[in-house]
Amino acid sequence: MSNPIKRNPSSYRDPSGYIFEKDGVLFRQVNKCFKEDFEFFIQSGLYDSLVNQELLLPHQTIEECITGDENGYLTLLPERINFISYAWEWSFDMLKDAALLTLRLAKESIQYGLSLKDATPHNIQWHNGKLIFIDTLSFEKYNEATPWIAYRQFCESFLAPLLLMHYNKQTLNQLHLAWPDGIPLSVTAKLLPTKTKYSLHTYLHIHLHAKISKKTAGKSEREVRFSKNKFLNLIQSLELLIRRLKTPTIPTQWSAYYDEAINRNGYLEQKKKIITNWLSLNPQIKSAADIGANQGVFSLLLSEKKINTLAADFDPSCINNLYQQIKKQTLQFIQPIIFDLSNPSPAIGVQNNERESFTERLKVDLVMVLAILHHLAIGKNIPFAQLASYFSTIAPLLIIEFIPKEDEKVKLILSQKKDIFSNYSQTAFEKEFSFFFRQIEKQEIGTSGRTLYFMKRNEE
Amino acid sequence: MLHHLLYIDPGSGSYLVQVLVAAVLGVAFFFRNIKNAVIAFFTRNRNKQDDNTKA
Repeated sequence: MSNPIKRNPSSYRDPSGYIFEKDGVLFRQVNKCFKEDFEFFIQSGLYDSLVNQELLLPHQTIEECITGDENGYLTLLPERINFISYAWEWSFDMLKDAALLTLRLAKESIQYGLSLKDATPHNIQWHNGKLIFIDTLSFEKYNEATPWIAYRQFCESFLAPLLLMHYNKQTLNQLHLAWPDGIPLSVTAKLLPTKTKYSLHTYLHIHLHAKISKKTAGKSEREVRFSKNKFLNLIQSLELLIRRLKTPTIPTQWSAYYDEAINRNGYLEQKKKIITNWLSLNPQIKSAADIGANQGVFSLLLSEKKINTLAADFDPSCINNLYQQIKKQTLQFIQPIIFDLSNPSPAIGVQNNERESFTERLKVDLVMVLAILHHLAIGKNIPFAQLASYFSTIAPLLIIEFIPKEDEKVKLILSQKKDIFSNYSQTAFEKEFSFFFRQIEKQEIGTSGRTLYFMKRNEE
Repeated sequence: MLHHLLYIDPGSGSYLVQVLVAAVLGVAFFFRNIKNAVIAFFTRNRNKQDDNTKA
């Protein structure tokens, strides 16, 4: 018989405990070696304070150690995260807020006599409309004699990518994929423009840090005294620097899409009306993925109906704008994510299963593919059959928009490349999709020439 | 690359750098605080918070 306890493959680094799954529920075990620190964390009042401020994921305490592990002390049942996401799928301001959240936790911990021992974006997840810290075992008793143990980790996994995105391009969040444990300081120092050497805080935390780490590598680290005041100065300096960093303001190809689309004879309004009607006929839909969400007009429509919606787009500016809107309006049911359908994030880490691929994580009730079929089929040459097959692995229900070849937007794409797409027709589309889905509804969007389909996966 | 470096955690050295950084920051913040106190004397409403967390 197989073991009903499945240890999470990404939870192996920290001896204080680990995440495991039992009967489809995720638990966190606290090990005996961390008992004292964990009890202090709870009794000091830090846990309550952080949970009340919605900075830390709440948990229920289950007294017994349900794994039967002899090292186990306690089992915790954390609130469920809907969709696990990683820093390479976040926009600039998401990573910036995650960094500021980490610094805030480090600062608050000190006030309660604890210290934050980990500073990685992997400990932060999207929960109920905001980023929240999830690792309950990251707080240990503060020893005033030691500097911040997570300092280098913070600089490499938050500060380095933020600086690179600030001074270069937003798309450099993809560097997280090459270095999931943080972009090495020596690499960051080389990639940053020379002028950053003359900015005090960047010089100290990146350039000087890289230089000294290199020089002293291999020498044993002597006990150094590091007062609380110095610790707080360090945090304040990082905070000052990060608050100053801004999204590069170059408008991308897609950031003005809706301004233009809205002017097309009520096209957006008609589309909204059709989809709203279909959704109201299917109240069983609880989760959805809006692929090619742009700035999330249709994701917002889904979230208004309390459908947990993943607003996915490959354009980091669109996702960043959507994130700002979600933050401003405190929207709960929508999660912004950077996702390129022609290249979804891969599975990485130890045994290739430490961080799951995007597709493995993406299981929803409905997938919505609006006004991007031509980009995928013509722009990226992906055959209808492959698209249909992919969508059928994600969700049992599909809302998809077909854009005919005569459409001005398709003509625009075809003006840039050779027309090798003789199979791009509505008949071929319906036929190829019929191998995976059956049509429930089909409706033309006014006079736009475009058609919306509502489909159900075969064998459902 | 020197061979023995392959066996060393690349993070070593970060304690020493923190001591140096903290020393520089101690001086920098000392003057910054004076500057801020002067500015605060003449103006109000500084230090806006704009992250994802409540004030």
